[in-house]
Amino acid sequence: MASSEKRKVTAEDIENLIEIFKQSSWDEMHLEADGLEIFLSNDPTATTPRTPAAAVPSAAMTNSAVANVVVPAAASVAASSTTLSHAAGGAGAPIPDGQVAIRAPNLGTFYRAPKPGAPTYIEVGQQIEVTTEVCLIEVMKLFTPVQSGLRGIVREIRARDGQMVEFDAVLIIIEPN
Amino acid sequence: MPISRVLSVNRGEIAARVVRAAHALGIETVQAVSMADRESRAAQLADRTVVIGPAASRLSYLDANLLVHTALQTGCDALHPGYGFLSEREHLARLCDEHGIIFIGPAAETIAALGDKLKAKAIARAAGVPLVPGTERIATVNDAVKAGEELGYPVLIKASAGGGGRGMFIARGPDDIVASFDKASNEAMEAFGDGTMYMERYVENARHVEVQVFGDGSGKVLHFGERDCSIQRRYQKVFEEAPCAAMPPALRRQLHESAVNLVASLKYRNAGTVEFLYDIDRQAIYFIEVNARIQVEHPVSEQVTGYDLVQLQFQIAGGEPLRWTQDQIPVTRHAIECRLNAEDPYRNFKPSPGRITRWVPPQGAGIRLDSHCYADYLVPPFYDSMIGKLIVTAASREECVRRLQVALEKFVVEGLTTNLPLLKFIATHPDFAANQLNTRWLEQILLPAFEATQE
Repeated sequence: MASSEKRKVTAEDIENLIEIFKQSSWDEMHLEADGLEIFLSNDPTATTPRTPAAAVPSAAMTNSAVANVVVPAAASVAASSTTLSHAAGGAGAPIPDGQVAIRAPNLGTFYRAPKPGAPTYIEVGQQIEVTTEVCLIEVMKLFTPVQSGLRGIVREIRARDGQMVEFDAVLIIIEPN
Repeated sequence: MPISRVLSVNRGEIAARVVRAAHALGIETVQAVSMADRESRAAQLADRTVVIGPAASRLSYLDANLLVHTALQTGCDALHPGYGFLSEREHLARLCDEHGIIFIGPAAETIAALGDKLKAKAIARAAGVPLVPGTERIATVNDAVKAGEELGYPVLIKASAGGGGRGMFIARGPDDIVASFDKASNEAMEAFGDGTMYMERYVENARHVEVQVFGDGSGKVLHFGERDCSIQRRYQKVFEEAPCAAMPPALRRQLHESAVNLVASLKYRNAGTVEFLYDIDRQAIYFIEVNARIQVEHPVSEQVTGYDLVQLQFQIAGGEPLRWTQDQIPVTRHAIECRLNAEDPYRNFKPSPGRITRWVPPQGAGIRLDSHCYADYLVPPFYDSMIGKLIVTAASREECVRRLQVALEKFVVEGLTTNLPLLKFIATHPDFAANQLNTRWLEQILLPAFEATQE
């Protein structure tokens, strides 16, 4: 069950782990708890030693919140994206039971479509897959598509088109299936 | 054009200081914070707070694109960089210029010129400012050994792009150079992306003095007196005071003139500090570098001159000229600042972040505390360990030292370990009261004595 409230693993927890790892002299860190698996390595080509069934390939994580936090820190993370990307609690309207939030992987301007006038990436009610692109975030003319990271139905689009979103802000609410 | 809304992009005490100074001038504030600083003092004070990224500074405070994007999207017309982080990066200043945001600091070209230590020395030399005898770029160990013979040992070998002591070492003979040159150069390459080294005579009995300057970009420059920052550990300042009471008036005049001439030659804009080595034995000063930003220790200059330097930064950046003359900036008092850090002075200064459970700073006449901390504040583990600056002011140095001793004695911080015992030990040491010290005093005399109190 992908209930974020029960897990209580936040993006901050992950950051703290990464910080500890960076300040250590370890080559690798591999942690498993509660269906969550984190693998940190100083070897950019390293992959998870043992991929859990639910996990997605690390390449698919490139644009998800957690992967964006980690990659420039010279560590690679592979984990269940459902758990990591959407676990962080935060302000704003509560997320309905059984639904999870896709959060902003970085601060930037939120766009619902790849370019002005083009069809939107997703609409409410739509079924999406793990690799479905759901929006675009722009920082100083650098546009980065954001992937869902999980399979489910779009229930709500919270961020407003063309508006700035802060790091970790709730963008889209998904009901996983 | 006066500034109407500023993005404050630093953290800790300076962010709170910047937000307050802006508010005092009627300027609206947006505070950029990382996830770890959402509960910070600056976030509480600012009109709006924006979470720009995760705790890791590389993905938040060190990302110029994020900062300028935030400034543009929140309707800010200016950006205050504080100190550290990107405050002296030409790239951020230039990015601001390109997008119509006022960078509250020197021009991008000025930052670039002064950021390169060798270029800065050339500028100083051209302005007639005295320099410590030294070399140009040194490429190899052999060249370094040859230069060492010519200058006479001991020599200091430094990274051209360096700072904070990284990529720097003292050589007392050719063997030291052979042992450390390549390592230091590699360290500089890793830290600054530039392994260029140079060398100068090492002045063993020296004080660190620096002049607070301000330019309005027209070529007019005023100074706000000098600071003595000789009490340092690993090139990190621990105590700073104004004025440098140990310096005779004639030399002080030369110091001020040198600093003003140097930055005036650049048509310097905004706040800066010109650092010098004060050679006590030769009674001479040598230029070290210019810090093109507001500095941690600016409050002591404010205390002795009565000017608010951060407000002045906003006014100059908003296009106001320096409308005073030098004689309107007399130094009439004495001020001492000490840096309170969340670190354990008994365990090799190991950082000790954590939650502050009790925070009772001293209060009273002549006592100022610049801090972002409060009871129940969590000092995050990701950044600098400084949690406050205690600044005391009095009519004389003697009175100031006494006031500092009392203030430190009354300062209560619980929940985490701080360097308060060390600060107290310094403030009550007879050498400090007698002002008999140099840049090596803390490490060579004070710290061994301090450690002995533990046994």
